[in-house]
Amino acid sequence: MSAIRTLLAPRLLSARNKKDISVVRVFVFGAIGLAFWGGLFAVSYRLLIYFRGIEELGDILAWKLLSMVLIICFALLIFSSLLTALSKLYLSKDLLLVHSMPVAGRKIFTARWLETALDSSWMIIIYTLPVLIAYGMVYSAGAAELFYALFVMGATIILLSLLASLLSAIAVMVTVILVPPGRIKTIFVFLGLLLFILLYFAFRLIRPERLVDPEAFDTVMTYLKLLETPSSPFLPTTWAFDAIRGALTESLGSPLLNGGLLLFGTGFTVCFAVIIADSIYFKGVSKSQTARRPFRRPRERLRSRNRTSIFPRPVAAYLEKEIRTFFRDQTQWSQIFLILALMAIYLYNFKVLPLERAPIKTVYLQNLLSFLNMGLAALVLTAVTGRFAFPAISIEGEAFWLVRSSPISLKSFLWIKFFIYLIPLLILTELLIVATNLLLAVTPFMMALSVATTLFVVPAVVSLGIGLGAAFPDFNSENPAQSVTSFGGLVFMFISAGYILAVVVLEAGPVYRIFMAGMLEAGLRLTDWLWMAASFGSILLLTAAAIYCPMRYGHDRLVKAS
Amino acid sequence: MIELNGLTKRYGRTLAVDRLHLSIPEGMIFGFIGPNGAGKTTTIKMMGGLIAPDSGRVEINGIDMGRFPEQAKQCIGFIPDRPYLYEKLTGMEFLKFTADLYGVDPGAFPDAAHAMLERFSLLGWKNELIEAYSHGMKQRLIMAAAILHDPKVVIVDEPMVGLDPAGIRMVKKLFQELAANGTSFFISTHTLSMAQDLCDQNGIIHNGRLIATGTLDDLKIQANATEDDLETVFLKITREEQVGRPYPQTAGD
Repeated sequence: MSAIRTLLAPRLLSARNKKDISVVRVFVFGAIGLAFWGGLFAVSYRLLIYFRGIEELGDILAWKLLSMVLIICFALLIFSSLLTALSKLYLSKDLLLVHSMPVAGRKIFTARWLETALDSSWMIIIYTLPVLIAYGMVYSAGAAELFYALFVMGATIILLSLLASLLSAIAVMVTVILVPPGRIKTIFVFLGLLLFILLYFAFRLIRPERLVDPEAFDTVMTYLKLLETPSSPFLPTTWAFDAIRGALTESLGSPLLNGGLLLFGTGFTVCFAVIIADSIYFKGVSKSQTARRPFRRPRERLRSRNRTSIFPRPVAAYLEKEIRTFFRDQTQWSQIFLILALMAIYLYNFKVLPLERAPIKTVYLQNLLSFLNMGLAALVLTAVTGRFAFPAISIEGEAFWLVRSSPISLKSFLWIKFFIYLIPLLILTELLIVATNLLLAVTPFMMALSVATTLFVVPAVVSLGIGLGAAFPDFNSENPAQSVTSFGGLVFMFISAGYILAVVVLEAGPVYRIFMAGMLEAGLRLTDWLWMAASFGSILLLTAAAIYCPMRYGHDRLVKAS
Repeated sequence: MIELNGLTKRYGRTLAVDRLHLSIPEGMIFGFIGPNGAGKTTTIKMMGGLIAPDSGRVEINGIDMGRFPEQAKQCIGFIPDRPYLYEKLTGMEFLKFTADLYGVDPGAFPDAAHAMLERFSLLGWKNELIEAYSHGMKQRLIMAAAILHDPKVVIVDEPMVGLDPAGIRMVKKLFQELAANGTSFFISTHTLSMAQDLCDQNGIIHNGRLIATGTLDDLKIQANATEDDLETVFLKITREEQVGRPYPQTAGD
């Protein structure tokens, strides 16, 4: 045990020794987290109160919801643990240091598993708690009962997290023996994304909105019959559900029995995992250092330097480097897959919109949705830019010294990055806008407006991404692509969302006037023209500022940091 | 003290280390030299128990690394060429961490750590975060951590990289002192002048095979060289080896 404590010590000491904690950042992150937590609690509480008010059906729905929450929570825990376990057990920077020490492999595994359990589950637990607390407050009779229920729920969720991380660690250890660790990460991410997409489409196919449609009553009874079918008694989520339900209905036996099953199951799995680790963990570590990924050498003609480039040589050099490293990085492929999946889901949502059953005129609704779609697509663009363009500077990593020592100014370097990411993101967003407008069958005016607005918004958002990414770089990160979840990433998301909102608000008025004038076949007045000029002029100025200012700010911060 | 018996390691179809046999007695400083990609780091990692050989055996102080890795590692002070250090730990905290894992007596630790930090000119930095250390200071800290528990064997990959001249002299003197007390050293290096000055014997590895081993005089005879210079001898031996066998070597050759 002392070896395990010692192996965990660097983590605890490092956290204690961190001096560069910004109070502002802690406050901002804390406030956002708290707001989200509170929002979840409020929605859950409200929903459960509503369910409780429905006779007979309400409780069935509430328990089914709880069951679904626990299943989703467990699935998220497993997926999160898979990637974390892989990194902690086989890909972390201190792996060789730790394995050179006279410590048994099973003890190293145990220390790493504990870190995995904590890292992969803390956020999921924190954001499941408001839902469970809502259940406790709605279903408990008094303070003592609430305390009892909360205790059972807390213990259950912790045991589920431990069990999920153990199962993931075992799966990772076994898989590494068969597949190199570098490939496993990509495989797990792809599987996770596939699962997410399948779950989403399955959810959409069920069409739960029918529950609020009285005409679907006959089918609702059939659906509710399905809801009542029990889950498998061998699943940990069933034990967790039965324990929590028992605690909420003030039973003692069910929480004891099912809690005991969960505890025993977790304990058994710990022993099993340690035995497995003793046999194969070091073999996997050894294999992970010697496994080579097959690399297909580029064809000779592509490596030729004698071709004429339309770009200046430094630009061409960075462009070539960026494209090659992007497509040779397997983690980027999973991100591309995610983007394509999100776009498919986005377009599918537009396809199934029940416009014909809306109480307002279809042609008005279509064009209104198209207008709002500009904002939504721009928000999707923000998310994609956050994933690809924001880390564009950080991704240089330890090779940034090459940039600093090269005969290219930092300013030029940043603008080169800007144009490299602008073109594909512009094409992507325009395609999204045109495709959704075609699905909505909008007027030619709305199509032209959407395309033109996107032409201005995309450079602004990309500039915000590159500029703020340069202002808040992280060259030491093991996964720069996740830098969008940092303080700088949050700043980028907020400013970008604010800019998009401003553009939408500024355009809304004039666009409405133009649209209504067209619908009513009336002309525009002088005040309308002046209003349009002011609005579109403001948008142009705002866009120019959104392009110039972040790049300037990023450049200055980068120079100062260097 | 160090026995390597038929050590072999493949990376896919490439034979990185080919049936390496070596025996290093107590108190010897052995230099392990070779061109880039010859198999030095792979050999060192197998000796340190970081990777498992495909065949063959590593014995440290008579203990089989494959069968009793913890006991074997207990005898080793391991200094890699690009060591990872916990940047948010202080120098003293890092020494405590390694001391705890190597089972250094907690009562003896403060004095031992103090002496070690003083020896490596890090006493004034013991409570500073490692992220503030220069590259040379990090190298010295890792050396201090490696010999804190009085190992019987020290395995080191490129010991002098990043050290200033005073540091290099101090490390040479320290290694010689420890060797005189019975500690065996296995030093992988490209700095042939250092290998010539410091090492009692040298082994030359090329394409995964140990092609020559012995004192400088032994190597001169093997290379049929007259120069009293390890660099010339080394280049002669490896050039002749290169002409005799094409690179890279694949399994089954």
